[in-house]
Amino acid sequence: MARNPDGDHEGREWGRGSNVAWSIIGTLFAGMIAWGGIGWLIDRATGSNLFLPFGILLGVGGALYVIVKRYGS
Amino acid sequence: MRVDAVTLPNVLAAQEGFHSPGIEEFEWPCIGPNFGTVFGYDVCLNKVGVFMLLAMLTIIILFYVAFRDAQIVPRGLQNAMEVGVEFVRNSIVLEVIGPKGLPYMPYLLSLFFFVFVGNLMGVIPPFLFPVNSRIAIPLFLALLSWVVFNFAGIKEQGLPGYLRSNLFPPGVPWPLYVLITPIEFVSTFLVRPFTLAVRLLANMIAGHLVLVVFFLGAAYLVQNPLTVVFGIGSFLAGVVFVVFELLVAVLQAYIFTILNAVYLAGALEPEH
Repeated sequence: MARNPDGDHEGREWGRGSNVAWSIIGTLFAGMIAWGGIGWLIDRATGSNLFLPFGILLGVGGALYVIVKRYGS
Repeated sequence: MRVDAVTLPNVLAAQEGFHSPGIEEFEWPCIGPNFGTVFGYDVCLNKVGVFMLLAMLTIIILFYVAFRDAQIVPRGLQNAMEVGVEFVRNSIVLEVIGPKGLPYMPYLLSLFFFVFVGNLMGVIPPFLFPVNSRIAIPLFLALLSWVVFNFAGIKEQGLPGYLRSNLFPPGVPWPLYVLITPIEFVSTFLVRPFTLAVRLLANMIAGHLVLVVFFLGAAYLVQNPLTVVFGIGSFLAGVVFVVFELLVAVLQAYIFTILNAVYLAGALEPEH
C-alpha cells in the first residue's frame, strides 16, 4: 500500500488535508533554510552577498519539486 | 451624557482602565523555592508546572482506578477509559501504522491523554489555563517524538537504510539528489519537530487569548449602562468559544498523536 512519510493512507481521509498543508509549508521552509543556509555559508566564506538570495530561490525551487513529486497527481 | 451624540468608541475611549490582553496572560510567577537561574530564566515551579504535574497525576489515577479491578464486561469509569484506549489503538495506531505500531501504543496513548488533559485545563475551572500554550511543553513533547521516530526508524531499517529512505526519495533522477537531499534532511530532521510543536502551541495560545478577550471584554462592558448589551453579547460569545475550545482540546490531542503515528509509520515502513 502506498504511503508516504506525511501520511497518505486510505481510510484516513479525515485531517489529511491539514497534514498535507502543514507539510507543504514545512517543506518550503526546509528548502529555504537548507539552500539559504548553504548560500549564507558561501557568502561568509567569500565575503560576497549574492549566494544567500540565490540559495533561498534555489531552495524554494527544490522544495516545489519535492512537493509536486510527493503530492502531485 | 447625551446618548444620541454618543457612539460606542467614544464611550469606550472615555472610560479608563481597559487593558487589552497580550502575551503577559501567559506569564506566571514562581511558586515556592527558586533554584537559581539558567540563561537568565528562573528555575522554579510556576502555575503551569503545577498544572502539568496535575495533568500527569490525573491520568495515572484515572488509569489506575479504571483498570485496577478490570472486568471482562466493563462498567463506569473502566468503560469510559476503554473508549479512549480503543480510540487510540484502532483509529490511530492500527489505522496509521498497522500492527507494527502496537509496540509504540503505550507511548502514543500517554501522549494523547497528556495533551488532551493539558488542553482541557484551558476550559475547566479552576485551572482555566491550557498547559500546552507554553512552548516548553509542546516543544519537549515534539523533541521526544523526534527521538522516538528516529529510534524506531534506525531500529527497523538500520542507520544506512533509514537515512537512505529519508534523504533519497525514490523516483527522482539522480542528479537532482544534490538539490533534494539537503532539503529532505532539513525538512525531516530539523523542521519537523518545530512544526509539530508550533501547531499545538499556536492553537492553544489562540484559543486562550480568544476566551480572555471575550470574558475580560464582558466584565468591562457591563460596568457601563450604555454598553451592558455589548457586555452580555461578549459573554455569550465567550460561552460559545468555551464549547469550541472543548472541541479544539480533543482535536489537537488527536492531531498531535496522529502526526506522531504518521512519523512512526514513515520510519517503520519506508516509501516504495
